[in-house]
Amino acid sequence: MYEELLEDIAQQNGLREVNTYTKLAAGLGAILLCLLSTSFVAPLFIAVVLTLTLFIMARIDPGTYGKIFVAPVLFALLGVSVIILLAGGEGAFWSWRPLPWLSLSITRESINQGLFVFFRVLGGMSALIFIALTTPMTDLFVVMRRARFPEEVLDLAMIIYRTIFVIMAQLVLVYQAQLMRLGYSSFRESVRSCATLCGSVFIASWEAGEDLIRAMEARCYEGKFAVLGEGRPIGLPSAMAVLSFLVVSAAIVVTTRQITLI
Amino acid sequence: MEGFLPLQWAVFWWIIALPCLVFGILQLKRVLAADREALPLLGVTGGFIFILSSLKLPSVTGSCSHPTGTGLSSVCFGPWITSVICAIVLLFQSLFLAHGGLSVLGANIVSMGIVGPLAGWGIYRALRDTGVNIYFTVFLACALADFCTYIVTSLELALAYPAEVGGFGSSFVMFMGIFAITQIPLAIVEGIVLALVFKYIVQLKPEILVRLKVFPEEKIRAAAGDS
Repeated sequence: MYEELLEDIAQQNGLREVNTYTKLAAGLGAILLCLLSTSFVAPLFIAVVLTLTLFIMARIDPGTYGKIFVAPVLFALLGVSVIILLAGGEGAFWSWRPLPWLSLSITRESINQGLFVFFRVLGGMSALIFIALTTPMTDLFVVMRRARFPEEVLDLAMIIYRTIFVIMAQLVLVYQAQLMRLGYSSFRESVRSCATLCGSVFIASWEAGEDLIRAMEARCYEGKFAVLGEGRPIGLPSAMAVLSFLVVSAAIVVTTRQITLI
Repeated sequence: MEGFLPLQWAVFWWIIALPCLVFGILQLKRVLAADREALPLLGVTGGFIFILSSLKLPSVTGSCSHPTGTGLSSVCFGPWITSVICAIVLLFQSLFLAHGGLSVLGANIVSMGIVGPLAGWGIYRALRDTGVNIYFTVFLACALADFCTYIVTSLELALAYPAEVGGFGSSFVMFMGIFAITQIPLAIVEGIVLALVFKYIVQLKPEILVRLKVFPEEKIRAAAGDS
């Protein structure tokens, strides 16, 4: 598990003070364009631009960024290999039919499709990580409230948000104590330790949650968290940058429709 | 995984997920209006689902295996509220840990937040008023919720990427087969762990289970008494 949530990085990134809507427009627009694209070029372009923006403007450590990206890339590679084997097509380089209903083959088309999906994942993930690393959840709550999300859902979301940090802190504490007492020395022992870990942390954080609600009720909480939304005005330079990024990406999506890798 | 599903499928799963979420939100409103004390418990459940489902194991399908933790919530609050909790948790996952994604959120909500909990809840309802041991019921509900999540995930992947020979069917079998290797043992372990967690709650805080009418009162009393 990550010791450091992306949230912690987001709270102190270089683009923290940029208007939330501007950042969301860049991220969500990029995701949509990646999905609309029919070739690998636009997603690749989006991935490169957003990654560089993160390094240079948001001052994200490339090592940390790499670590975040490793898992999705590995998953994507594995998934893409399944697509390459199953997609089929003309002129197989290699094929094998172990069962009547199952045929594995590698063809030009399937490689192209696989690589296309791979780059789409790269583009999409970089856009997602862009949002995750530049926009803290606390800012998103403000946006969600303005967008008239149901109060109950927002309340619940904020409670869950808070609870996650409480649970994480307690999990680490109890887990280390268990580890020191050889709680994970065998499989049987691990299952038992894991259950007591979950059980005790569950009850403890539940009580912490009840204390929180009680403390808030003492301060006139009646089912609506106050969110302090600092109104950061939309900056002209950043808005123009995002707009031109989206326009250029859209142009690439349109012009490179037919291009395949091999 | 962001970008893994083509646009039309991402939209399709969103369209399926939304009505269920709306229904869940209505139920959530009702529960909270009746009893604000449920909020911390809902929060902790959400936090737990978040933690459990961030323990990822790679799987060969572009998605990955992890425990879901939705069974327990489904038993306590019913499947629809669970789907709202899941939607929030999945959103946090994509923004905190870069797991999952926004365009595929709909598909993830359908598999982990709707079908999984529904399956778990179904088996729990079927066994609740019978003589079956309550821990065994919880075990079955949790394991099944986890496993059904992966059946649906395979379905989603197979629909988006059908094989050329054998089409959707063989693609489904292939994805399913790969998932099964990691997911069957994982579902069983998750069932055991969550049943033990449930036992812990029964011992320490049986009153909340009585209030939520999870099991008939005398059954919980009996279980709390003999443990």
